[in-house]
Amino acid sequence: MFDGQQEYLVEMRGISKAFGPNRVLRDVSLCLRPGSVHALMGENGAGKSTLMKILAGVHKRDKGLIRMNGVDLNLPSPREALSAGISTVFQELSLLPNLTIAENMFLGREPQTRTGAPDRRRMRAETAAALAELDLKLDPDQLVSTLTIAERQFVEIAHGIKADASVLILDEPTAALNAADVEVLNRSIRNLRAKGRVIVYISHRMDEIFGICDEVTVLKDGQYVGTRAIADVTPDQLIAMMVGRELADLFPARAGNLAQPVLELRGFKAAPKARAFDLTLHQGEILGLAGLEGQGQQRIMRALIGRHPVFGGSLHLHGQALKFPNRANGIRSMARLGLGFVPEDRKEEGLMLGLSVAANLVIGLHAEKPAVAPARALRDVVQRMSDALRIKTASPATPVGALSGGNQQKVLLGRYLAQGLKVLVIEEPTRGVDIGAKSEIYGLLRDFTNAGGAVLVTSRETVELIGLCDRLAIVHGDTVVAEMPAGQATEHGILAAALTTEGVAA
Amino acid sequence: MIAFLRSGFSTRRSRNGLWGVPLVIVVLLVAVLTLATEQFATRENLFNLVAQAMPLLIAAIGQLFVIIVGGLDLSVGSVISFSTAILSLDAPAVVLIPAVFVLAGLVGLINGLVITRLNVHPIIATLAMQYILLGITRILRPVSGGDIPQIIISAVQGSFLGLPMPVFWGVIAIGLAAKLLYGTRFGLHLFGIGGGVAAGMEDAARNFGIRVDRNIVLAYVACSLFAALAGVFLAGRIVSGDPNVGLLFELDAITAAAIGGTQLSGGVGSLHGTVLGAVILALLANGMNMANISPFVQTAIKGGLLLAIVGLQSRKKMGL
Amino acid sequence: MNPVLRRLAAVPPAYYVFALLLLVLWIARPNMLNPNVLGIFVRQVVPLGILVLGQLLVMRVRSIDLSGGGVILLINYIITSRTFPEASGLMFILMALAIGGAVGLLNGYMVAKRRVSAVIVTLAVSIILVGLVQFLSSGKPPGDVPKYMNEIFDIKYGPLPLPVLFWLGCTALMWLALQRSVYGRYVEAVGENAEAAAFSGVPVERTVVAAHVLAGLIAAVAALVQTGSIAVGSVRVGLDLPILAVAATILGGVVFGRGEGGVWGPFFGVLSFALLFVVMTVFGIDDPGKLIAQGVIILMAAILYGWRSKRG
Repeated sequence: MFDGQQEYLVEMRGISKAFGPNRVLRDVSLCLRPGSVHALMGENGAGKSTLMKILAGVHKRDKGLIRMNGVDLNLPSPREALSAGISTVFQELSLLPNLTIAENMFLGREPQTRTGAPDRRRMRAETAAALAELDLKLDPDQLVSTLTIAERQFVEIAHGIKADASVLILDEPTAALNAADVEVLNRSIRNLRAKGRVIVYISHRMDEIFGICDEVTVLKDGQYVGTRAIADVTPDQLIAMMVGRELADLFPARAGNLAQPVLELRGFKAAPKARAFDLTLHQGEILGLAGLEGQGQQRIMRALIGRHPVFGGSLHLHGQALKFPNRANGIRSMARLGLGFVPEDRKEEGLMLGLSVAANLVIGLHAEKPAVAPARALRDVVQRMSDALRIKTASPATPVGALSGGNQQKVLLGRYLAQGLKVLVIEEPTRGVDIGAKSEIYGLLRDFTNAGGAVLVTSRETVELIGLCDRLAIVHGDTVVAEMPAGQATEHGILAAALTTEGVAA
Repeated sequence: MIAFLRSGFSTRRSRNGLWGVPLVIVVLLVAVLTLATEQFATRENLFNLVAQAMPLLIAAIGQLFVIIVGGLDLSVGSVISFSTAILSLDAPAVVLIPAVFVLAGLVGLINGLVITRLNVHPIIATLAMQYILLGITRILRPVSGGDIPQIIISAVQGSFLGLPMPVFWGVIAIGLAAKLLYGTRFGLHLFGIGGGVAAGMEDAARNFGIRVDRNIVLAYVACSLFAALAGVFLAGRIVSGDPNVGLLFELDAITAAAIGGTQLSGGVGSLHGTVLGAVILALLANGMNMANISPFVQTAIKGGLLLAIVGLQSRKKMGL
Repeated sequence: MNPVLRRLAAVPPAYYVFALLLLVLWIARPNMLNPNVLGIFVRQVVPLGILVLGQLLVMRVRSIDLSGGGVILLINYIITSRTFPEASGLMFILMALAIGGAVGLLNGYMVAKRRVSAVIVTLAVSIILVGLVQFLSSGKPPGDVPKYMNEIFDIKYGPLPLPVLFWLGCTALMWLALQRSVYGRYVEAVGENAEAAAFSGVPVERTVVAAHVLAGLIAAVAALVQTGSIAVGSVRVGLDLPILAVAATILGGVVFGRGEGGVWGPFFGVLSFALLFVVMTVFGIDDPGKLIAQGVIILMAAILYGWRSKRG
């Protein structure tokens, strides 16, 4: 190995990691120069977050080497990573809601007074200074539970910066921030870079990558693709590295002429201050809710099954006016009317991982029956769905948790397809699924609509929505700000449509 | 001061929980009892009240430590009985008193390790401990009896500077807990761990570099040690070892903490609220005794109170 | 671990414990191992065995019911205290079921709708009921059990006592319900992942409420059998049954949310306790030892499952 000490502050080499049967990382390397901002890119599920969690000590690597300043690091827990000078702002918010901002900032490394008590005065003062640096006017004694999402995100960032770490990992730090906030953040990042720190920057936003980063490493399907200086690549080249294939081949043909509407929302309000909007889903159509992450796509979809409050508007299904369902039995009442909801989080909300493939497939059918009815085994249904979806499993009795991500996702979809529903509302059709299975799932959804069904879908991967859908509704600020045929949509166009209408709602 | 009092009625300003409500209840109860009865406001009754309240107050403070991290300790009552049984053994006080605390600390250590290392639900682990310890206690002392070291009896039943001794027990227990909860990093970390548990982010505190398991174990040790302290106090009051004296104490302690605004899901609660909760239970018992209400009915009323209080605290998830 | 060992480790501990205790008894007191003697021993644990059927149901949906003691005590008091001197057997049965059902409904509402800690709720309910009975009876034994109840309890078919057959029948019924009904699927799904079950359309809250109501009704049945087993009413009867039921259920391979042990695992868990009490009596171990044994068994079984779920 060459002169590591001068050239790189951190070297990760040959990193591999598997969660059960899912191999998330295979032989991945990442080398970080001091005084640089290093972008880490890749599609969702490419392994970026896992790689960073290994560096942060949250996950243990199965194989590979991590060196800092030429010294091997063993990172069994976040504690060791923090003391080695590696600080992380995670994608999921991880501040503790019942502590104050100042307490969160110093948690785990509180300064102490002579009596051994946490030195609250010092914590408060230093927190105020750190917040001021990010142009934040927040009281350090405020509980984190009272902050807005964007404020929390900034406190997380302040926490990461405050740690005096030599490596700062920012995992999609701008997801909850507006343009002005992003500029404030960029200024802090440049300051840190000038001090010789390393910033690992994970983001999907090309303008940010090209605006602030020096180098970029691309991962694809858990494997290392390459590292480039930002000055040497174009956005299109980066996308090509991330995707590594012709996208068009993945997706089935779009629908022809659209038939009558099946699901109609009129004057719909998904948040108290949001602008009301109309939305129509037609038979045979796949309609995508696109836009920046967290702008209300999920809230709109969950409102359809009573999992999110509705603040106005009307709902028609197959021409029949309906009351918006309530939380207690929304899922059941909508299923009875032919609408199924496929949740995003397979592990928490989707599958019963310890139960068999068969049990997971037929539970939706059982749920339509009264509790005292006899439960048939429905082997024919299981067989039919396993064949139709090409679920790869040793036997229908295998626990679904032992399957790969793609097969798990197929089982989840299969449950709703088996119910003979007419409308599917799908949060993330292919999260954490490999390319081959993705393509199969797209085909399944298209078969479903070709047979007279209709799909309302959202996804963090805009490329996926563009390829899969017939029509896109761009969501921003909990309302639909534009609609466009998916065939003519581009990532840039969607972003532009979302952002030019900024400020419509709170 | 006013800002502090106001924070007792808001969950937005602090993690102390709604301790303002029990404060109002205490004031009302004292007012009603003073006006309605002649005995209540007598010096004798108030001294008695303090002595009656003290074991529960101390045990509730201990329970608070584990509730803050989102756990529960059902072995508290057994630890109390066990402590009185140990103290009633035939050995010098210099041996017995340290032995009580060492053994109680060991119980807490086992509880904590079983919960954190062996992945057992806190309620199941401490329920099992409750039975094991009760069995051991009944072997040591099948029925009430034995002698308690004189030094403990004097320390509980005497008075000092014109104040009854139990007052000083209370001051020491509250002071110790205040230091641990509010004057150490340990206390802050307990709140942090519990806040993560309550919000469904079990790993959050660990990601901050907190030694989560170690702190949880220490919380159970603290709980058992406070329970032992309550047991020593009770031994001094009843002047014998009694295998049943701690019966249902764990539930009274939970009730006291919950009435004091402590959330059983973790992360929210306060020492002053818990003390107020214990005082409320003591005032109620005192009032019901004066009204000649059967102790059996009192037990039932306390059960109803617990049911009502926990019924008001809605959680995110169903479960144990 | 090799596959055979893994298979063996997956067998509910109750079977091993049962076999071990049988062996101990066979070595220590071979003369006790005859059908008539064993029948008597097993008959003693029938109330526990019935109570376990409710316990395993609520534990499958990640709840717990510690209120059975209070239910048994109250029903026993009503029957033996002559509060209703005119009441027929059928009346007693209906009253018992009404009490059990009402208590179960309260438990279920608090656990499923209010999302209160199940241990706290059911313990509090038990305390209220016990306090009530002790108040009504002033702490004294209430009175005699109607003769016909004792007579029914004493019926035998060959070496097989009627209560044991009844218990077997109830267990088979529960097995059938869990195995063959849609409700059984609901229970399975809710136990594994309540949130995912809800997104599959399973009525999660209703499933949990129903489990508690059923557990309450089953506790009422256990109370009737328990009452038949004693001659005189008592204010302490049945108080240790709920915790024994928890221990037997865990021993039988049913832990919170997971039901590998089915209904027969807990069945053998109860049989293990029957033998355990015999073995302890044989070796002269009295009540404190039994308390310790209960605690240790709960702890060991919970540790075993905690350890297993950590690996799997």
